[in-house]
Amino acid sequence: MIDASKEKKNKLIDGICKTFFLAMAILSSSFIVILVLFIFMKGISPFLPGYEFGQVNIIDFLFGTTYRQDQGIYGVGFIVINTLISAFASLLLSFPISVLCALFIVKIAPKKLSVLMKSVVELLASVPSIVYGVFASGLIVIFVKWLASIFGITTAGGSSLLAVIILLAIMIFPTITSMSITAIQAVDKDLENASLALGATRTQTNFKVVLTSAKSGIFAGAILGIGRAFGEATAVSMVAGNKLFGPTFDLFDITRTLTSTMLAGLKETSGLDYDIRFSVGIVLLFVIFFSNWLLNSLKNRIGKNS
Amino acid sequence: MSRKLKDSLLNSITYLCAFLGVLVLGSILIYVLINGLKLINVDLLKNDYWSKNYLVAVENDQSSTFECDGCKGYFSSKWGVSFIDEVTSHNEKVISVEYIAENSPFEQLTSLTAGETYGQIVPMEKGYMIEKIDYIDSEGNTAIAGKILKQDAQALQESLDNASSITSIYMKSPGGGIRGSLIATLYLILISLIISLPIGIASAIYLNEYADKSKINRWLRQGIETLTGVPSIVYGLMGVSVLFPVTTVFGATGTSILLGGLTMAIILLPTIIRSVEEALIVVPQSLRDASLSLGATKSQTIFKVVLPCCMNGILTGVLLSIGRVIGESAALIYTMGTFISDNPVINGPATSLSLMIWSFMSAEQPNFELACAISIIILSVVLILNIVVKIVGKKLSKNFV
Amino acid sequence: MDTCFNVTDLNLYYGEKQALKNINIDLYKNKVTAFIGPSGCGKSTFLRCLNRMNDLIEGCKIEGNILKDGINIYETKTDVVELRTKVGMVFQKPNPFPMSIYENIVYGPKCHGLKNKAELNKIVEKSLKQAALWDEVHDRLHESALGLSGGQQQRLCIARAIAMQPEVILMDEPTSALDPIATSKIEELIETLKNDYTIIIVTHSMQQASRVSDYTAFFLLGDIIEYDKTSVIFQNPKDKRTEDYITGRFG
Repeated sequence: MIDASKEKKNKLIDGICKTFFLAMAILSSSFIVILVLFIFMKGISPFLPGYEFGQVNIIDFLFGTTYRQDQGIYGVGFIVINTLISAFASLLLSFPISVLCALFIVKIAPKKLSVLMKSVVELLASVPSIVYGVFASGLIVIFVKWLASIFGITTAGGSSLLAVIILLAIMIFPTITSMSITAIQAVDKDLENASLALGATRTQTNFKVVLTSAKSGIFAGAILGIGRAFGEATAVSMVAGNKLFGPTFDLFDITRTLTSTMLAGLKETSGLDYDIRFSVGIVLLFVIFFSNWLLNSLKNRIGKNS
Repeated sequence: MSRKLKDSLLNSITYLCAFLGVLVLGSILIYVLINGLKLINVDLLKNDYWSKNYLVAVENDQSSTFECDGCKGYFSSKWGVSFIDEVTSHNEKVISVEYIAENSPFEQLTSLTAGETYGQIVPMEKGYMIEKIDYIDSEGNTAIAGKILKQDAQALQESLDNASSITSIYMKSPGGGIRGSLIATLYLILISLIISLPIGIASAIYLNEYADKSKINRWLRQGIETLTGVPSIVYGLMGVSVLFPVTTVFGATGTSILLGGLTMAIILLPTIIRSVEEALIVVPQSLRDASLSLGATKSQTIFKVVLPCCMNGILTGVLLSIGRVIGESAALIYTMGTFISDNPVINGPATSLSLMIWSFMSAEQPNFELACAISIIILSVVLILNIVVKIVGKKLSKNFV
Repeated sequence: MDTCFNVTDLNLYYGEKQALKNINIDLYKNKVTAFIGPSGCGKSTFLRCLNRMNDLIEGCKIEGNILKDGINIYETKTDVVELRTKVGMVFQKPNPFPMSIYENIVYGPKCHGLKNKAELNKIVEKSLKQAALWDEVHDRLHESALGLSGGQQQRLCIARAIAMQPEVILMDEPTSALDPIATSKIEELIETLKNDYTIIIVTHSMQQASRVSDYTAFFLLGDIIEYDKTSVIFQNPKDKRTEDYITGRFG
């Protein structure tokens, strides 16, 4: 039954297949390198001497507090601060709600309610950001406007730092919640039983034992969440208002984030105004990288303590 | 404070947090439904976005009388047309044509627009909006009628019945539809999947079936996982800087559906690789052993035994990918542009449904109604995909028990 | 008597751990040889050496020679795929592919490029008959193999191995997942198959070894303690440890 030429052919095909799979895997993982390399090359060009549309001073760019496309002034220093403020504030707002919601789903809710809530979280996770954007510019801004009027403040139609924070908090809620659910589910049942056996109530056990044991996973969720907050572009652009200078500390004032800057007034596909967006992109990547690194080392420290 | 009281307080806080989640989802759904539902109809799906303007003359203006049994609107028996008042998706009040009788002079109109189309025949269709009509009334004076004079359908009909002849009609085809963007979205899904699926499946196979625990393979895996954390707007930058030259080969001169599709393909890779890998892991090792012990080669084993077993995983990857493509906006703003095209071509600019929302929401006068209507469409698709993914996932876990 | 495998000085390591120690054994053609011993003693590991299925396990290192028809199967130029077509295998748990019964049987031949429909049909019928499954399934060849009972599935796996017309069939505890009735059917099958094939079977059950095998090897902690005719092993074992094991003092 064994035909020698067939066997040879089979072997050849086998070798080709393996090479193909390997090549595809290398291709897939090389995209990240290509991505960083090209964006870096293009983003750094405006700062090099001999740049065709007029060299930009890198110090002015990094530490500038004004960003005016119309006047050719590009400073992203204040934008970085704005981005950090909005992302961390949204994390602050969303984190406790998400974690408690996860605890509710896993430990507290009756079975049916728990299944329902899980679907709610999954649905929120799958709502595209453009829809969040429509929702934010239609409803969140009205809420902000109303809130501002209580304090007697007028806003730019509701577009404001607060609107960005609320929007981002909503958008990272499903991310943190689903990560927390996984972490809480992974908590060892024996630990809980030990706590219950010591006469602690269910609730005390949930808050004191379950949450603290799951904190590493919950923290990982927070890191994922803030990554999403940094990178969110379209929805944020719809309510940020794009202030020309800053930084913005007033909740009811308009703001400008790195991503909203990258999308603002995008018309031409060449020239300084276009190339500088790549530079902003590099800054965004650095901000994400550094806050990830910072939070991860913080997480490791917390993990060690327990 | 007693323990019991404290416990119930803490518990009710968690209930509150869960309620907040429901509240947000509920308000998003209610908001888009209230604003968008009234626009959801077949016309929205099949109409162009941009309405076309026509200036036409009535060829055949000898008058006769037309009959119309039970047709809606205000019927001009002299000209054989009936009009109704309508509100467009742009919230504009218009007078639109509801019915044209057979042999009505309005069936044969000739274009008066200077240029190539001059003299060509333009048929008037149901749904066209009448802006202005120049006519000569029964006393021989020139007069005008139509929306310009803030007339409604009834007034227009009365004016026309009083006209002895019509000099010219200025009309618009109905616009505000999403047909072009729907087609562009389909193209986008197809292109990105055609590229992403083979690369993703092959990578997943390598990582799960061939790769040992060597350092290089760890690096490969790390590289792919890092892709997940890159914000989509950065992929947009990558698309224009890395992939644009590829699309010029296919005749693209700027942003294009093809460029968007290529960019999306890279965004989808981690998703597809993960779903396929999850399915590969579930395939029992004993099946691979059985196949190899029969003298099948490794690649035969993969293609004939392993892959057929993880079709569900591949399907899950495809469904998740479709959801991602439909919802994506930031990366596509750079790569596909924001100009809404009614006749999208693969190597030209167009908007997907999400981009279309962005396009008119970032304009001076945001059109919330249309945005919400498209949001309803996007959300329904995403919801259906989610349900199907769940069903497929349940089947996957049952497969090998 | 013809030997099928000559194994000399075989050592096998999983990483640091030595799983087989200096194995020397000759396995005879057209006989049923049983490997017995407590779990974790290396009998399955040794079995998987004979068709190089251990190649698939990461960190597994093999020293020594296994000669099949005078050729060392661990030489680099040996074609593993060809070896496995000659040395078929039946696994502990029935593992039919999630395809039809027919597809399961023709899988191996098709992999080797056989396309002729008539010939494939012939192979299916012959293999199923040899595996004593034909009468039970001939009217539903195109239904899913997963619909069969456990015993039928295992006989299908045997039929699938037979379809390749191997010289040797390795069986790794083929009845451990089956009920007594299915087990006895498989044992009867082994009895008839030994006329055409060399069968090497790993088993947990000493009764099974004594019922079906001609030769028996007793493994302990990676060593072969004793290897002889089954009747000798079970009636006059030479080694004390063998005696202790078969009389049930440990294991």
